Amino acid sequence: MKAASICTNGQTGCHFISLANLFDRVIQHSARMHGISNDLHSEFELYFLPSKNQIGRVSHNCHTSTILTPNGKENAQRIAREELTEVILKLLVAWRDPLWHFHQDMAQHHEFNNFSSNKSLEMSDMVHELRKGVQKVVEKMQMLGIISPSIGNLGTPEALLTSDSAEWRLMNDYDLLYCFRRDSNKIQHYLKILKCRIVPEHGC
Amino acid sequence: MLCVLSAAGVCSSTSAPGRPSLLGCRSPEKETFSCWWEPGSDGGLPTEYRLFYMRENLRGVHECPDYVSAGKNSCFFDKEHTSIWAEYNLRVVATNALGNASSDFLINDVMKYVKPYPPVNVTVLANSSTPSAYLQIQWKSPPNVDVKSGWVTANYELRIKQNGKEWKNVETGAQNVLNLYSVDPGASYMVQVRCKLDHGNWSEWSNTTFVKIPKHHQIENRFWILVFASALIPLLATICILVLKRKLLLSLKQWFLPPVPGPLIRGVDVQLFKSGRPEDVVNALIGNQNFPPMMPWTDQVEEYLLVSDSDARQLTDPYKCHKKKENFIIELHLESKIQHRESTPGQNAWEKAEESKDETGDLESSDVSQSESNLSNMEPTKLLIEEQGCPSTEKAALTNVIQPLANTTYVDFQQRENFWDNSPTQAEYSRVKEVNGETILILNNENILPGSDVQEQEVNGEVKAPDDYSRVKEVNSDLVLLQKHDSADSYCKKKEDHYTEWISQRPTTPHEGEHSKGLCSEMVESGYVDSVPGFSIK
Repeated sequence: MKAASICTNGQTGCHFISLANLFDRVIQHSARMHGISNDLHSEFELYFLPSKNQIGRVSHNCHTSTILTPNGKENAQRIAREELTEVILKLLVAWRDPLWHFHQDMAQHHEFNNFSSNKSLEMSDMVHELRKGVQKVVEKMQMLGIISPSIGNLGTPEALLTSDSAEWRLMNDYDLLYCFRRDSNKIQHYLKILKCRIVPEHGC
Repeated sequence: MLCVLSAAGVCSSTSAPGRPSLLGCRSPEKETFSCWWEPGSDGGLPTEYRLFYMRENLRGVHECPDYVSAGKNSCFFDKEHTSIWAEYNLRVVATNALGNASSDFLINDVMKYVKPYPPVNVTVLANSSTPSAYLQIQWKSPPNVDVKSGWVTANYELRIKQNGKEWKNVETGAQNVLNLYSVDPGASYMVQVRCKLDHGNWSEWSNTTFVKIPKHHQIENRFWILVFASALIPLLATICILVLKRKLLLSLKQWFLPPVPGPLIRGVDVQLFKSGRPEDVVNALIGNQNFPPMMPWTDQVEEYLLVSDSDARQLTDPYKCHKKKENFIIELHLESKIQHRESTPGQNAWEKAEESKDETGDLESSDVSQSESNLSNMEPTKLLIEEQGCPSTEKAALTNVIQPLANTTYVDFQQRENFWDNSPTQAEYSRVKEVNGETILILNNENILPGSDVQEQEVNGEVKAPDDYSRVKEVNSDLVLLQKHDSADSYCKKKEDHYTEWISQRPTTPHEGEHSKGLCSEMVESGYVDSVPGFSIK
């Protein structure tokens, strides 16, 4: 795999980072994000046990359920790289606002301890940072000609948010955490699959 | 139906089945999963168990696709039927001819039930190469776990136990090998490994692998013992020969350990030092050197110390006698200073010690250099104590008016004015002989021996002098008794009556007049001895 420099303007002191390295970074980032969401969800389960007797209710009404995601390893390996990348970006974009508002709620309600409040802030920041990181990976892949440039317009989140702007407000906090825990796990797995499809010689 | 108990005790009642209970599920590689249930009472009739499920994003109720692969009372969901991020709603229904019973719902998320099988092919090799033995442990990920595609990341944990000791756990992250160095040769070990997929549950421990580390070093040790023995024998033989032939030994000793030459200073006779007379020492060492020319202090208040080497000194003259005593004291002091200087490693050290501990370094070093030049003009014979002829008067000891001599150099021991404002440290000091409670005994004519302790004491004395004031209790010709009191912070701050300063070698008259410009007026009036070595300005 030929690796090229990120610094297109010929800036001095610009460090060269390979695509595999970039992938490793975003994967680590996503793993940490999922860990935090897992912790927060467990804490919520301790304090706010939802009613378990929901016989007919299987779905948690996640606002991202409209995004079609591969439900297993084979499906994730089968779909095109561009499609998989698009799914990742869509998920990341969809969670930016809800997590921010969740953190605001947490900060206001003082019955939550500082630990949970810090975690919610961290989670909110991380989804933002991860999106930027994945954006960089996409740019590099496009520059290397690995994927087609057709998904460049995903960089504008406004294009995506208009469709499901208000649905996430209907979720309660517990559902929100449950849905995000699952989606962060999806993001982590998709990134790992993508990496081993594109740069398999580096630790796959 | 009622159960009719017969003598044979055979119960022939039947009923609807009891409720089965779902035990749990497990996904070993995050791609498939299986669930197990426990049947209730079967009611005496053949009972059939069926599992139904509902799934998120899947309409309708479905039945278990595989009842066989996972064993009895189980349901196996293969890859097509497994959706990792979807919730399943399961229930088991037991049916017999008389009725049916349904288990509780089990709503699960497959991610929660991920638990892999233990790692396989655990090999342990005892590598006993130099320098020390170590264990090489390797294993493989459990079957069906797809690490290659990045779908799951396996983390391993290893534990090792020596016979008779506790288990020690080692986390190895994602790697499949481990070299363990902290092993004892000859000991037996048991090793087990387990793994975990991402955030899932730990697997069970693998089967125990046993290993024994050979005592390879025994053979090596014997070899080294032989080598040492073969080297020792000629050595012992050599020693014996040397002992027997003394002359040979001596010449060898001469060659190996030559005698250390004694010190050699040009122009100095070493024997002179052995005589122990200080004047000889001083003359021998200092007499050859040239000192820089003296710069007299030009100050408003100048007091001079009379240093004379005149032979024809009339002892009956009280003034002269006093002066002589002063001279003596000064000389002695200077000499002691010189001696201190000699005893220190070098001039720099002394000066540095002075300067570092005293802000008026210039004064001190110049004092010393002045004193040196004084001494150079003196004859050694003048240092004899001639106090017999001098009447010892308290007053005499306290007065100190010094007149400059034309042909001698002088030393100004007064502290300068600006210096006065700062820390009123001493240029001269006596050695404290004894501290007894509140009384401090100072000896003026004690022959201060050269040595580092004196230097240190004096230096310390300089440091401490401004802080600690005492009251003069009694002044003798040689002794000044000081009564020690609580110290004042600074000269002028406390308005107490108990001020005294450290008595210098020449205690002064109680009142000091103008020269005590820097002093507080109270102190002067209360009639205490001040630190300035004996100058009264009339």
